[in-house]
Amino acid sequence: MDLPLFSALFAVCSLLLYILLDGFDLGVGALLLLPRDEHVRDRMVDSIVPIWDGNETWLIMAGITLFAAFPVAYGILLPAFYLPLMIMLLGLGLRGVSFEFRMQVSRARWAWDIAFGLGSIVAALMQGLIVGGLIQGVAVDGERFSGSVFDVCTAFCLMVAISVLAGYVVLGAGWLHLKGTGPVRMFAERSLRVAAVAFVSLAILSTAAAAVAYETVMTAWAAHPVLLTAISVTFLAVALMLLRAVGARADGRPFYLGLTLFALGVIGLGVVILPYMVPYRLTLWEAASARSSQLFVLIGALVVTPIVLGYSAFAYYVFRGKTPEHGWET
Amino acid sequence: MGFGVGVVTGIVLSFEFGLGFARFGQMAGPAIGPMIALEVLTSFFLEAGFLGIMLFGLNRVGPKLHFFATCMVALGTLLSATWILSANSWMQTPDGVAIDHGHVVVTDWLRVVVNPSWLIRLPHMLTAAYLTACFLVSGIGAWYLLRKEHLEFGKRTVSLGMGFATVLIAVQVFIGDILYGRMLQYQPSKMQAAEGFWETESESPAPYYWIIVPDQESQRNRFTLGTPYLGSIWLTHSLDGRVKGLKNTPRDRQPYMGLVFYGFRTMYGIAILMFSLVVASLWLRLRGRLFTARWFLRALVVMTPSGVLATLGGWYLAETGRQPWVIYGVLRTVDAVSPVPPNVLLSTLILFICVYTLFLTGFLAYTGRLIRRGPDEAPEYAEARGSLKPALMPAISNAASRAVQPKEA
Repeated sequence: MDLPLFSALFAVCSLLLYILLDGFDLGVGALLLLPRDEHVRDRMVDSIVPIWDGNETWLIMAGITLFAAFPVAYGILLPAFYLPLMIMLLGLGLRGVSFEFRMQVSRARWAWDIAFGLGSIVAALMQGLIVGGLIQGVAVDGERFSGSVFDVCTAFCLMVAISVLAGYVVLGAGWLHLKGTGPVRMFAERSLRVAAVAFVSLAILSTAAAAVAYETVMTAWAAHPVLLTAISVTFLAVALMLLRAVGARADGRPFYLGLTLFALGVIGLGVVILPYMVPYRLTLWEAASARSSQLFVLIGALVVTPIVLGYSAFAYYVFRGKTPEHGWET
Repeated sequence: MGFGVGVVTGIVLSFEFGLGFARFGQMAGPAIGPMIALEVLTSFFLEAGFLGIMLFGLNRVGPKLHFFATCMVALGTLLSATWILSANSWMQTPDGVAIDHGHVVVTDWLRVVVNPSWLIRLPHMLTAAYLTACFLVSGIGAWYLLRKEHLEFGKRTVSLGMGFATVLIAVQVFIGDILYGRMLQYQPSKMQAAEGFWETESESPAPYYWIIVPDQESQRNRFTLGTPYLGSIWLTHSLDGRVKGLKNTPRDRQPYMGLVFYGFRTMYGIAILMFSLVVASLWLRLRGRLFTARWFLRALVVMTPSGVLATLGGWYLAETGRQPWVIYGVLRTVDAVSPVPPNVLLSTLILFICVYTLFLTGFLAYTGRLIRRGPDEAPEYAEARGSLKPALMPAISNAASRAVQPKEA
């Protein structure tokens, strides 16, 4: 059996779940800076407060799977993305404590809402920088990262970062479209229209820029022309459907279409990067740890992941439907 | 609130293995990684998945399922401690692996997970966590009693807190003693540094040092303050025994004595204070003055954060005492760091210190306000009766009473 391939699949699935789930949390957080009405902001936070912690855990799962099954890649990629990861962790931390602290205050709640919004935006941008850095490729010498920690500070990476932020805002607004009523729903519709257009244009620009600027990306297009074209066309079609679904009776449609957009994006990225674990230098088989470690993780994952997925889904089921007007306790 | 702050600061650790210590991550990933992966799978998700239901779901799932969710959060926390202690204990006493081209290859998973120090360090840490909680709630309860408010709540917390502490401190002294012996066997340099002696054999009878000013450079103490004979009695169980000093360890393998010594003394000193207070509480309880002796209540208030400080001291002992190794006897800390420029490391460290100070300030300020506001707004608890049972099941009875009398919105 090809154990490293299964470990890589598990890591990619965890990462995909993280992007889809915490993506909308972070999007809601980024949108928190806009509404003036505190009641609207309270409802926005209420819509994600019972489930955000579980969503964020998928990031840890992806990171630790990399650590356990591909320690060499882990030891190269983390120093390579030292700056964006560190700042992302700070952003996620700020967002996390704002959940708790904003509930404790009534007069200065706006201050923690700003911290909440900024934390979410910073985390989203940093994740985008890392995606950009992965597309660029990583400088490696033996088993060590040999580039500079500032390698991710390029115009291309910045463009990808803003695209990711816009995408998360689409997901967040889609979530509010699903969960919100009254003014929250109106706000969601307005944000969706702007964010969806921005996201799609930025995504097209980034894809074009990647193909022009990086030979490796062009090679991937040459190797899988049909597949990558199909993904791009589907992406555009789904984006159009999303724009038409805004304000429709089906509350959830923009959200689910937004998730589809992100899934397509991740698949496209996978086609470009895989089978590399450290882009364009180390394949996943070269970076894999010994068989015994792979087995330990995979057996554990095989047994426990279905249970985790089960009760995570149950938590979503418990808090299904519209967010109550006066908090979950009512 | 503690949970929230704890969770977000804990995420950083999962990445720090690679961010700050890339070489350590590459070398030890095959052994530590799978353990932490299992921790995430079995405990982080359990905590996070049920935390939402526990905090916000009472009206949606009913009291029974809500109690189940609460139990799952507790179980997740317990499992988390189990795995992370296993991983850290492996770094202290590595076992069950071979080294192949600078990478760890696990030969026996059972010996990696159940490594020589885990079975003692795990109960030591769990007991410490429970003791911390005991003194934290007792201190708050005592504060209410001193201020003559929330009397019922205050009495119940002080009584329960000190009751559990009585059992736990006895258990902790016992476990601590076993652990001391085990560490002396596996990491002699740590315990040599912890006692503050330099010479290979101390004078006889040996004193027990309380304050030292060590000079690592010239391998001696510039100043010492200790109790004569006590060192021999406690450490060698005789009146004139000699204690082994840090010079038994080659100089390039010595930890910094000051850090290790004061980490240990902080933990040990607080343990002695806790023990004395518990003895006093038993005496006062028998004489029926547990809730009225003001000096005792004042002492409890002072001791509110004692468990936190003792736990920190213990971890300083464990981690600084292992130096210069990051994996004891296998990988040195200097060889484990990431290829990140020092000034970048320093700036991010300063940034983290600033943000974490903000978190801590917020946490202390808001928790202090919650405590001042008192338990009246908090959920009701079971009536205090003779048996422990109702006190242990506040969640069920509280949920049931709420379900019968829905709050007016």
